[in-house]
Amino acid sequence: MAIVKLDKLTKLYSSGHPPAADNVSLTIQDGEFMVLLGPSGCGKTTTLRMIAGLESISGGELSIDGQKVNDKPAKDRDIAMVFQSYALYPHMSVKDNLAFGLRRRKVPREEIERRVGEACRVLGLVPYLARKPHALSGGQRQRVALGRAIVREPKVFLFDEPLSNLDAALRVSTRTEIAALHRRLGATMIYVTHDQVEAMTLGTRICIMSGGRVMQVGPPLEVYQRPVNTFVAGFLGNPPMNLIPARVESGGAAPVVQIGDTVLAIPTGRVGTLAAGSVVTFGIRPESLSLDPRPGAAPGARLSGTAEQIEALGAETILTVRIDGQADRIADRVIARIAGDAGGIALGQPCTLSLDLNEAHLFDGAGMAVRP
Amino acid sequence: MLKRSLIVFVLCGYTLFAAGPFVWAALLSFRTTSEIQLDHYALPSPFHWEKYPDAWFNSNYGTYFLNSLEVVLAAVFILTFVGAMAAHCLARYKFRWNRAIYFVLFSTIIFPPQITIISLFQVLVNYGLYNSKVGLVLVYVAIQLPLTIYILEGFFARIPADLFEAARMDGFSDWMIFWKIAFPIALPAVSTTIILNFILLWNEFLFAVVLITDEASRTLPLGIQRFIGDTQEDIGMIATGLMIAMIPVIVVYGFFSEKLIQGMTAGAVK
Repeated sequence: MAIVKLDKLTKLYSSGHPPAADNVSLTIQDGEFMVLLGPSGCGKTTTLRMIAGLESISGGELSIDGQKVNDKPAKDRDIAMVFQSYALYPHMSVKDNLAFGLRRRKVPREEIERRVGEACRVLGLVPYLARKPHALSGGQRQRVALGRAIVREPKVFLFDEPLSNLDAALRVSTRTEIAALHRRLGATMIYVTHDQVEAMTLGTRICIMSGGRVMQVGPPLEVYQRPVNTFVAGFLGNPPMNLIPARVESGGAAPVVQIGDTVLAIPTGRVGTLAAGSVVTFGIRPESLSLDPRPGAAPGARLSGTAEQIEALGAETILTVRIDGQADRIADRVIARIAGDAGGIALGQPCTLSLDLNEAHLFDGAGMAVRP
Repeated sequence: MLKRSLIVFVLCGYTLFAAGPFVWAALLSFRTTSEIQLDHYALPSPFHWEKYPDAWFNSNYGTYFLNSLEVVLAAVFILTFVGAMAAHCLARYKFRWNRAIYFVLFSTIIFPPQITIISLFQVLVNYGLYNSKVGLVLVYVAIQLPLTIYILEGFFARIPADLFEAARMDGFSDWMIFWKIAFPIALPAVSTTIILNFILLWNEFLFAVVLITDEASRTLPLGIQRFIGDTQEDIGMIATGLMIAMIPVIVVYGFFSEKLIQGMTAGAVK
């Protein structure tokens, strides 16, 4: 059992500066894989380091299994951490790196041998036991770092961007290994990353942070499909959600919004009630746009513009379109992810995009999602 | 091919330049002063091996050698451990006046030793340490500590903080982290300071000549000086004394040289 509870956890490095972590409240259930996701400087690593005991807590309460651990030293929290830089001891062999912490904790020799042997078998490190870290590849070093955490058999595993130093191919395979490890151990894991693919594929739940605050917590698909605000909407997805300034023409449970010259009728029940004249942000994912007008689609569900950029990726094409009747601003372009090629559309050519308004989002003036 | 020949030529020239005086002194050490005066560059004929036991036993070189060994080993030992701990502390811990302390320590490097020698003499007399090996050890530690800290601090600062944090999570105290992680990793730099301090202090003359007058406490450089009189010099015995003096330096260098090279190239090849 290891439930990690963060209750208004705050980290203030110096007065006069905004807190690095600001009232972070989060409960990580036993056996859960929680991913802290956000851009650089959002406070995710600070939060992780507070959980680890490497950073003092300025405010709030941190408890593990119901026990307050705010002032408990890192070594007494029964937590293992995998660092971004691997943090392997360069003067020790792989075996010593794995056994070092166990020896300190006075684990019997036979038990150390058993744990190290088992971790090495699982991670494929048996041939490298006598090697020093400098004689290992990046992937092998990462596996040693994982092994060092595994042999500890801790209550909670912490990962601080463990894949960011690996090349793209190795990142995919190591990601799979970490997922398999979580399934095998069933341990509570907290994983920090700025890579949304890692977050989406690994996390049981994702906690998206910005400016030291928690923006949204939920299962990967939920935060992707139902972002609570424009930050989450714009951060998740590649390309990100199109966020276009719009105005509500007629309010009610099925509002009609105007973007430039285009009027779009949002289906009933998709969004909450809005008053006519409200300034909103209309959001739609690139994959909810298509080039060919949908058969039977309402005439309002279309946007016309000029093809400004075409990125053919083979299986799909990323098409950037500048919307007609809008000022020349970045926010007035939409990006569409189209299966296959762009159907002969050339740069500078007018084109019409069809919108799946069942997937549309509206955000109010404060950037919060307008929910039914 | 031409480039290779040029490199070989330059290397031969450099070897001659570096090893020539050593070989010459080695040859002189097997010749008597009268033989040397007849021909400075002749080969020893015959080899006067007996000059070595003669210097060691009859010219008190044994005592000088052991004195030097005691003083230098004690000073290097203290310098290495105190210097490493101070450097680790300055490199790793954030505390008020950290950089000010570092600056004060480092700024003493710029003072020529002649500035402090009179006051040091007075201090040692006041504390009853004048003419004692303990006094000389303390002075040697004081004069070499800033440079030692300077060299080691740069190295310790390059050790990633993640290593210390990983060790903290493994349950190690700050004291153990220093001995089990920081110090072993810094061994190349530590070796550099050991060699540097050993060679500098083994050859140190100025402080020794001012602070030691007692025959029984003299170090090797002072012993060699004894063969230089007002009107004549016993070149043969000076050469023999120099060879005896050089042996420990060569041994220390041979023992630590690999680590020294690692220390000098650390970071450059990373």
